[in-house]
Amino acid sequence: MSFAIETHEISRTFESYKKSEGLWNSVKGLWDRQVVYKVALKPTNLKIEAGQIVGLVGSNGAGKTTLLKLLSGLISPTTGEAKVLGFNPFERKTEFLKKISLLLGQKNQLWWDITPIDSYALLAKIYDLDETAARNKVKELSRLLHCEHVLETQLRRLSLGERMKMEIIGSLLHSPEVLYLDEPTIGLDIVAQEIIREFLNEYVKNRGPTVILTSHYMDDITKLADRLLLISKGALVYDGTVEGFVEKSENLQIVTYKFEGQPEQRSEITKTELNRFLNTISSKGQLESFKIEETDFEHVIHSFLQKESRLL
Amino acid sequence: MSFTAFCRRNLGFFKLAVASNLEYRLNFLIDSTVQPLVSSVVEMVLWMAIFKGAQAVEIAGFTQNYYLAYALWATFVARITVNWMYEFRMIEEIDTGSINGLLIRPMSYFEYYLSQLLGYKFITTIISFIFPVIFISLLELPTVWTRLPAALVLIFYYLIFVYGMSFCISSLAFFFNKVNSLTVTKNLALWLLTGELFPLDLMPENIKNFFLALPFSCGVYIPVGYITGRIDHSVLLHGFKTTTIGLIIVSVLGFFLWRKGVRSYAGTGA
Repeated sequence: MSFAIETHEISRTFESYKKSEGLWNSVKGLWDRQVVYKVALKPTNLKIEAGQIVGLVGSNGAGKTTLLKLLSGLISPTTGEAKVLGFNPFERKTEFLKKISLLLGQKNQLWWDITPIDSYALLAKIYDLDETAARNKVKELSRLLHCEHVLETQLRRLSLGERMKMEIIGSLLHSPEVLYLDEPTIGLDIVAQEIIREFLNEYVKNRGPTVILTSHYMDDITKLADRLLLISKGALVYDGTVEGFVEKSENLQIVTYKFEGQPEQRSEITKTELNRFLNTISSKGQLESFKIEETDFEHVIHSFLQKESRLL
Repeated sequence: MSFTAFCRRNLGFFKLAVASNLEYRLNFLIDSTVQPLVSSVVEMVLWMAIFKGAQAVEIAGFTQNYYLAYALWATFVARITVNWMYEFRMIEEIDTGSINGLLIRPMSYFEYYLSQLLGYKFITTIISFIFPVIFISLLELPTVWTRLPAALVLIFYYLIFVYGMSFCISSLAFFFNKVNSLTVTKNLALWLLTGELFPLDLMPENIKNFFLALPFSCGVYIPVGYITGRIDHSVLLHGFKTTTIGLIIVSVLGFFLWRKGVRSYAGTGA
């Protein structure tokens, strides 16, 4: 089987320094700094088939972006190695960089002072693309994203949603074989999120790139990803399908109930505990309302991340 | 990668700098014309005051008109041969992680900003040099017009060396994050070393020779001295030599700093 992405014991440790509170410690820091090391990604083994769409989920600081940066060659690994399309990413060879794209939802990658259409013309030169073909591709992608009307407006004058659409076009212009999407819908309103999600869904289905997607919106993951990777404290803790993860989460149920004269209460319990729980609350008093709901992926992930955040 | 693709891409960066700078037209016009013009006027008035105070016809063998011509050209040439704008931007990009968006493109960071710097200085030269040309002609100050093309070649050659220094300094941001103070310190030193502050021939002979042995004198003194007739061809050729040596040194240093810096880079920010 051919793997587009393979890692072997890849890890990254960052070095920083600890500064204790107070002015004196700031002064002391001029000559004496206590170096601290933070393991952002523990030795990780990963194999991703060509054409697979992988959702990478984890709480802030879990190591998602570090993994993407390692796989795109932005940073070097502390240990281990990676192969992406047969290349060592950190060597950043031109042939490799022409085949990948990294979309950072929180950073502008197009040029702030010029119009997107000028940015795309420049990108066509950087990626050595045929100008007419690149122009046609911009037309096609902007039509699909409903944003033809802003192509000739400077990037800095566009709304966040429009800017993100422009960034997406820029990241797809050279038809990358591997696409890293780091929170592509962050900060966008629901309509813009939906448009981008639909667009990406269509694009990856038709063009078939290998995709690693990180997002805090679980709709992005459920709609787009066919494989889920959960990362926690720098380690992969789940690798499987979205459905598999929900099942593995012990079939949690949300029970909402209200006693007379008391506020509404909510509990999360497993199916096996349900009978015992019902007996307990019914013995406590007269129930005014009672509801049982199946948990969805969003909820399971939310609980998972909440738990992880507390542990961090 | 073909050479045509390389040229096409770098021409793109060159044009990007022109388009980006002309986007903010007021800022560009003030930076390229008003600032050097004000500096020129201040320096010319200063030289007139010096000559009047000294009640001399010549200082170090040159008349007042030579100093006025020097002051006029020097401020405009210095505007071309200084690079703080892109240096600050490069430091900022490495510090904040904005460089990420450039590192994943199939191009080198070095060529990206070098072509932009040349594009920016090219448009600045075309627009700003109108003023010294007009004033020199009107005031009939000494200038050998036929020497201007050779001086411009040295100015732009020296600019590549200046960019090499900027690349080294900004590469230090990988290790120390904020290194803008180095840019300020370097530019202050260059104010004297290039001869922008005053012509190097006013210095004691041994200091002048030492300064001329360094490539920095090609930033102002050699091209302006050559245009205004203070120095001859041999000094200009010497300038090309020292700039070449300087360029080799900063290229080697920049290569190692960059390679080591990128390895330790933490990809700050998203």
